[in-house]
Amino acid sequence: MDAAQFLTIFISAVFIYNVILSRFLGLCSFIAISKETRPALAMSLSVMFVTTMSSIITWLIYRFLLIPFNLTYLRTISFILVIATFVQFVEMVLRKISPPMYRFFGIYLPLITVNCAVLGVAVLNVDMFFVGSKAIAGSFYYSVFQGICVGLGYTLAMLLMSGIRERLDLCNVPKAVKEFPLAFIIASIMSLSFLGFNGFRF
Amino acid sequence: MEILIPVLTLGFLGVVFGVGLAIASKRLAVAVDPKLDKIHGLLPGSNCGACGGAGCFGFAESILSGKVKIDACRMASDQAKEKIAEVLGRQLIKGVKSVAVLHCNGGVKVKDRFLYQGIKDCVAANLVLGGQKECVWGCLGFDTCVKVCPFGALAMSKEGLAVVDFHKCKACNKCVQICPKKLFSLVPLAGKVYVACSSYDLGKDTRAACSVGCIACKLCEKACKFDAIHVIDNLAVIDYNKCTSCGECVKVCPMETIRIRE
Amino acid sequence: MKRYLQEFLKGIIKENPTFVLALGLCPTLAVSVTVINGIGMGLAATFVLLGSNVIISLIKNIIPDRIRIPCFIVVIATFVTINELVMKAYSPVLDRALGIYVPLIVVNCIVLGRAEAYAQKQSVLNSLFDGLGMGVGFTLALILISAIREFLGAGTILGHNLIKGFEPVFVLGMPSGALLLIGLLLGFFNVLKNRRA
Repeated sequence: MDAAQFLTIFISAVFIYNVILSRFLGLCSFIAISKETRPALAMSLSVMFVTTMSSIITWLIYRFLLIPFNLTYLRTISFILVIATFVQFVEMVLRKISPPMYRFFGIYLPLITVNCAVLGVAVLNVDMFFVGSKAIAGSFYYSVFQGICVGLGYTLAMLLMSGIRERLDLCNVPKAVKEFPLAFIIASIMSLSFLGFNGFRF
Repeated sequence: MEILIPVLTLGFLGVVFGVGLAIASKRLAVAVDPKLDKIHGLLPGSNCGACGGAGCFGFAESILSGKVKIDACRMASDQAKEKIAEVLGRQLIKGVKSVAVLHCNGGVKVKDRFLYQGIKDCVAANLVLGGQKECVWGCLGFDTCVKVCPFGALAMSKEGLAVVDFHKCKACNKCVQICPKKLFSLVPLAGKVYVACSSYDLGKDTRAACSVGCIACKLCEKACKFDAIHVIDNLAVIDYNKCTSCGECVKVCPMETIRIRE
Repeated sequence: MKRYLQEFLKGIIKENPTFVLALGLCPTLAVSVTVINGIGMGLAATFVLLGSNVIISLIKNIIPDRIRIPCFIVVIATFVTINELVMKAYSPVLDRALGIYVPLIVVNCIVLGRAEAYAQKQSVLNSLFDGLGMGVGFTLALILISAIREFLGAGTILGHNLIKGFEPVFVLGMPSGALLLIGLLLGFFNVLKNRRA
């Protein structure tokens, strides 16, 4: 297990290969929900929680169920089943222990099931930290950490975007580019600035 | 055999998840009070936040637990409120009806100290040295309050002031909260007289900035027979518990600061 | 027959999933670096759309309403897995180029969205043509975007250099260029829509 590898995972997941601005995962929810800061924060925190937990569960299933039985081609189905079940479970728990929080999240919680970022990070973990059918040393910890960092990257992009869009709301915007087109153009400028993180060296 | 293993594995996963979810949904079941749904159905569902609750659902919960008065909802009709009281087996206690009023009459009459080129929003403009007007207490004239009013009761006049439509105003308090100069206040519907100024500057300074500002001359205080108006900190203030809207102070005010609401 | 043709054409222009419904933008922007990748992804998504629409429309009466979303997802995931295996076997180059976006078709908003909004209510043949129309519309949108990106961003079309000495705009090949392009295209289609209204 390499300490430098953790740093690399953090820098690449949050900055260089930012999950939204570089890998385009979670773009639908990004554009739709980043209009105001409160929903954006709620969505990002729930996504971070789901990506971390699903990284753990999918890693365990891949390592102890799919590899021993030579069923690695079933990863898509089993991963998405895990994610759908887990999100449903979280919804139930949240509804029981904190109804105001449950209503705060509203419809965003079920929407995380189809968020590309969640399935994307699960598939990324498998691609990056398994060679052939064997897990590399420390791959479990790398996977969990990548889950957390992807959530952090998502949160960073969402908060930046919502801050900008809230201010833009007050300005005179041409009718044709209102809402979606303008959001994409802003995202492209953000992505360009994140490009500057390429070439980080320690 | 090659087909059996994946089928069994997926079947196993499916059964585990399905059973897990079924158990979880039983153990984590939430008991919903049927009255809650009924009350929520009777509310207008606009989620305007005027009641101070977390949307209409939060308000319904607060009513059920007895924490707030039913009358706190500004949007619901009187019939709806009666029906809600019936559902709860309670009596409806009526609150006093109020409206919002703008304590400023300056607008374009007040000159600009500097040319403001920024976001056309009062909160934003207020961050720049307290706004671009000579009078730092007065209305900045952008339409922040107009945009925040959920009932369309506010409009910007040509004089650069916010005008309240008293028929549409439901005293939801949103304009009071958002105005960075704190120019709005809720007055009782019966209170027809109001002081159209919020400047705590000395009389001569107020006069220099605005031709209709309060100069704290105290003529209104002397004219009032009901002890309802006093000059505190260089600004006339009306106590609506005592004011009878007789209009005497309006007649004696030399600056025409005290006005009668239509 | 005319009805089916209408369903098919609807997915291409009036309800184009990318430009009108703004669904499934994640893979659109990610794979549209070259036209070949765009066509590959479009065909894969069309296959999955077609298969899942038909099957879901066939079994719509058997699925209980409360668990319909997980059931849809399982059906879609099956087709995506079939697609993955076929791609890995017959076009490994394309599979490597598309990378993680091949399994991500399962959470593509278009596929689940059409299943939820259409296939679970309509007949099999209607769903078939709708799936086909949406898939073709998606592919055409992908071809448009990737053609612009490839031509202006790398100076080639389908791998062939068209103009000698053409200095490409590299940023279009990068993520920010993709976002910029989709923003401008959406704005352009909005102008057309507003003018028609």
